[in-house]
Amino acid sequence: MSDLRFDGRVAIVTGAGNGLGRSHALLLAARGARVVVNDLGGGATGAGKSSSAADKVVEEIKAAGGEAVANYDSVEDGDKIVQTALDTWKRIDIVINNAGILRDTSFKKLTDEDWELIYRVHVRGSYKVTKAAWDHMQEAGFGRIIFTASAAGIYGNFGQANYAMAKLGLVGLSNTLAIEGKKKNVLVNTIAPIAGSRLTETILPKNITDALKPEYVSPLVAWLAHESCEETGGLFEVGGGLYAKLRWERTEGKLFKLGREIKPEQIKKSWGVITDFDKSTHPANINESMGPILGNLESKALGGNDLIDVDAALGFEMAPQKSQYDEKDLALYALGVGAGANPLDAGELQYVYENASDFRALPTFGVVPALGMVFEALKRGENAPGMNYGFDRILHGEQLTELRRPLPPSAKLTHKAKIKEIWDKGKGAVVVTAITSFDEDGNELIYNELSTFVRGAGGWGGERGPSAEINVPPNRAPDATVEEKISASQALLYRLSGDINPLHADPGFAKAFGFDKPILHGLCTFGYAARHVIKAFSNNDPRFFKSIKVRFSDSVFPGETLVTEMWKDGEKIVFRCKVKERDKTVISNAAIDLYKEIPKAPEKKKPAAAAAPAAGAAASGEPTSAEAFAVIGDFIAQNGSLASEVGKTFLFKLSGPDSAWTVDLKNGKGSVAPGGDKADCILELSDADFCAMVAGKADPMKLWTDKKLKIGGDVMASQKLMFLKKIDPKRAMEVVAKLRGAGGAAAPSAAPAASAKPAASGKASAAPAIVKALGERLAKTPNLAKEVGAKVALVVGDHAWLLDLTGAGTVAEGKGAADATLTLGDDDLVALAKGEGLRDLYQHGRVRIDGDPRVAHKLNFWKGLV
Amino acid sequence: MTRRVNVIGVGMTKFQKPGASDEYNVMAVKAARAALEDAKVDFKEVQSAYCGYVYGDSTCGQRSVYELGLTGIPVFNVNNNCSTGSTALMLASQAVAGGLYECVLALGFEKMEKGALASKFTDRTNPLEWQANLMSKVQGFNAAPPAAQMFGGAGREYRWKYGTKRETFAKVSSKARKHAANNPYAMFQEQLSVEEVLASPDVFDPLTRYQCCPPTCGAAAAILCSDEFAKKHGITKPVWIAAQNMTTDYDSSFKEDSMIKMVGFDMARECANKVYEQAGLGPKDVQVVELHDCFTTNEVLTYEALGLAKEGEAEKMIDDGDNTYGGKWVTNPSGGLLSKGHPLGATGLAQCTELVWQLRGTADKRQVPGAKVALQHNLGLGGACVITMYRAD
Repeated sequence: MSDLRFDGRVAIVTGAGNGLGRSHALLLAARGARVVVNDLGGGATGAGKSSSAADKVVEEIKAAGGEAVANYDSVEDGDKIVQTALDTWKRIDIVINNAGILRDTSFKKLTDEDWELIYRVHVRGSYKVTKAAWDHMQEAGFGRIIFTASAAGIYGNFGQANYAMAKLGLVGLSNTLAIEGKKKNVLVNTIAPIAGSRLTETILPKNITDALKPEYVSPLVAWLAHESCEETGGLFEVGGGLYAKLRWERTEGKLFKLGREIKPEQIKKSWGVITDFDKSTHPANINESMGPILGNLESKALGGNDLIDVDAALGFEMAPQKSQYDEKDLALYALGVGAGANPLDAGELQYVYENASDFRALPTFGVVPALGMVFEALKRGENAPGMNYGFDRILHGEQLTELRRPLPPSAKLTHKAKIKEIWDKGKGAVVVTAITSFDEDGNELIYNELSTFVRGAGGWGGERGPSAEINVPPNRAPDATVEEKISASQALLYRLSGDINPLHADPGFAKAFGFDKPILHGLCTFGYAARHVIKAFSNNDPRFFKSIKVRFSDSVFPGETLVTEMWKDGEKIVFRCKVKERDKTVISNAAIDLYKEIPKAPEKKKPAAAAAPAAGAAASGEPTSAEAFAVIGDFIAQNGSLASEVGKTFLFKLSGPDSAWTVDLKNGKGSVAPGGDKADCILELSDADFCAMVAGKADPMKLWTDKKLKIGGDVMASQKLMFLKKIDPKRAMEVVAKLRGAGGAAAPSAAPAASAKPAASGKASAAPAIVKALGERLAKTPNLAKEVGAKVALVVGDHAWLLDLTGAGTVAEGKGAADATLTLGDDDLVALAKGEGLRDLYQHGRVRIDGDPRVAHKLNFWKGLV
Repeated sequence: MTRRVNVIGVGMTKFQKPGASDEYNVMAVKAARAALEDAKVDFKEVQSAYCGYVYGDSTCGQRSVYELGLTGIPVFNVNNNCSTGSTALMLASQAVAGGLYECVLALGFEKMEKGALASKFTDRTNPLEWQANLMSKVQGFNAAPPAAQMFGGAGREYRWKYGTKRETFAKVSSKARKHAANNPYAMFQEQLSVEEVLASPDVFDPLTRYQCCPPTCGAAAAILCSDEFAKKHGITKPVWIAAQNMTTDYDSSFKEDSMIKMVGFDMARECANKVYEQAGLGPKDVQVVELHDCFTTNEVLTYEALGLAKEGEAEKMIDDGDNTYGGKWVTNPSGGLLSKGHPLGATGLAQCTELVWQLRGTADKRQVPGAKVALQHNLGLGGACVITMYRAD
């Protein structure tokens, strides 16, 4: 690194007779700068005047071989100081605004003179010197200006109101000059030094000021003043060895949409967000500062009031929620909406008796889980932002329920809800919540729109929304009419499907709301109506049901008689419901759409973890990789000491389908978990090969040598996985079966294949046939034995043979003295017969040779005996 | 021009099972003090120390040597797997031979854990990766301890090649126990018959448990000096290093798909040839040998690498008793790694200690009669082979 030099440069350092200024001047001069050493020679508080301070520094510089000239003017006569530079060296390159005084006193005691004096020396003085140098620098196309601020200005400090004002004022001056000077290479920065000088003696204990040498500040000044430094507009804290840059930080803040009154209460309410630095930015210039505001200029408040803030609420999406239902839920719901009133009617029984041959969900059940989701969210206090009203104000106004296909007898659903519309109906408001429910495979199954009328929440001048006059019955007699008496206890039954509002059960509560007795749920009437339409127009087959849209126009009391009048209009059936006794329309503007054909369920998506291995691999009954890992996990759980014996972690990276599994046999009692990216030993192989390996169908060594298994990290650790061979196939099967049992009806019911090697004893030995074939081969080709010329004992499991290859070559059952004894497994003998080399099997430890192994060299007559 | 290097002091601790030993520094200090006392040299005269150990954080050497004195001397920490001890010895010897120092300390110690050798740093490239890969290619991975697989595999290859009986390897173990019976520093002094060796649990065919050296804790040390230093201290006829060499792996270790080559056969043979050439002496001039019998198979291989037997004739040498008292050589009179134990960092210096005692004629009941020239073979996978020839004339 070459030295930073200032040869040829002329610098002014104000207040250079002592402390920081003196240190800056000495450093710049030592590095070749010609320095105007300015010092009025006054005291720390600005009193007095003498030339001795500046002269001393000049002498010091000259003694060290540098060039310097003294100047004794006040910084308020900045032009004179600059003139000294111009007169002496005909140029000015660097201005270090350092001169300063203190007039510390509490604000209470601060006099106008204190205020004025500090302002004049610090702000006006820096201004005057800089101003006088500015044009020269602009013309020369080079300049470096440094202002001296203070932590007192940045952070405030007791008793330094005047000083703090002046110091931060310089930061503002510096920031603007940085912008104005940049084009002409006049770069301007500010330092906030902490140094032990005359000015700090009053506020810091002596031992600290001693440690804060001016010499620790000057290197930053020199760097900022150097021609190679391109920093400008910076603010730096420096001293005691610290060199740091400061910047502004702004919270993300709160942006209110424009166009409506912003009340102080809203500021108070958003105070947390306004002051939260979690998502902060660091605006560095006016443009960045204005950024969010400019972005907000186009925003337009949608309106709202204390009850509903449309801007906050509209479009809000609730966190997805899960629920599930089964046959019992379906039956209970159907009973709740009056199905099964005639228990001998098969058309009714289909909704309520799960063993009925055609057990089917009543389609309007589709509203239950969606409503349940909203209730659940409300119960947990999760409402959309900007919705500040309670249950007391809301009425279920309209309901739309669509089914993408017939509801299955049981399902696990995931619901996503969103505030879709908010309409201003004058006195009230209508909030439309759209809820989409997905099945386990992620396919959309149900779509609901819940329109709630919020009393007294309208009137902000917003849009009224679409006209309500849809699905108006034609001017003719109904095409069909169904009349049905509603049981007096119907509301008590319906509420068990989830809507437990006491208005429908508690007489006292109902009275408080102005009803004589508890009223029926609107959605219960809704279910009745759907049953009636399906009966009249879908031949009682609910599977054609596509959608239902209704408006709840009045209340129904349990015990009343419901009359559903229907008009067919293409695939659509327009209907309305009346209460016979009071001749009141309770459901209006209603229609049900039917499918022409029963929609089919989409192809079942396979869950990734349990996906079948790639083509050509294990059949469907065999354990998947996920199941195999469950088996491993079970084995680890059963063998508590395994982790302490192995002491390694393994990461299996499977491909096609891709998955990662961590088998931890190092920490605690060991564990198996999906995922992970680090382990002692990393094994990469295909999902199919892994399944085959765990099923005992692929030899890990072979996979490895065939480059199908890649072992990374601690290669040696991989052999600790030999414990896998100890897994009991029976136990493994049980684990897999249990998993599949828990997986529901869709899981294959076939018993899985054993996940480990079948026991050798479990199958017939191939050895006798091979040895017999060998005997025949030896008899046919006498030379085979002749070449060996030795006796060989062959031990395969419980079988033993003696091969006498000294003469013609005979094979006899039983044991006997031999030159070499080969002990091997049935599989290994089969491998030999299939052409694998004896030497290779021996080196791999699959054949044990007692006696003289050289005899085995010539035993190459196995191939083809199988 | 190098100077003659004398071994004027040796010492060691009794080798012990993991868990039963002192702390490494305590063992190291005991061995070093014994060697200093043996040399009758004050630690202040030691000008540098070479400290070998495999398992431990950095600067265990200083921690040990500091107990002998804070004299500010250079201390070198040495790690070269199973050949660590003799590597420290070689550095010490070179320093004296090269004229850097007059008197130096070579110190080896090891505090081992129970169980087979295993990698300690699993987050980085395994230094034995090439060896492991070759083995995997030739014979696959197994559940047995890796070192046993490597030397056992070499044994399989050797048997296939030369028709060696399994018993032959077992005989090496039985012999080692016989020798160790007279060595109070050895870990295992109980006798084992060939049948007992064969009947012990299989580790990796043909190796059974009693054919594998055990994890061991211990320390050993040697004081080396120049002729001038010995003379000044009135030491007459010290044991001296007639030749010494180190080799590392050659192409053949990884390119011939041979387990025998992979475990360092060519390293050992080349190293031995260089030592014989340097000393101007051959195998026939040697009476006593301490060699690296980490597994019985390696002792058999090493007979041939050192030229004690022709290739393929180790079995005959064993059957002829040319590896024990009364035969042409006594190999591992101390009991070797198999019976005395194998604390990695200490082994090379324990071998040196035994041979110095043998050449001085102070080996008591296990003294090899007429021992004048001794050979030391210390091998580490990874790899390095250090062979040293000592003389006492």
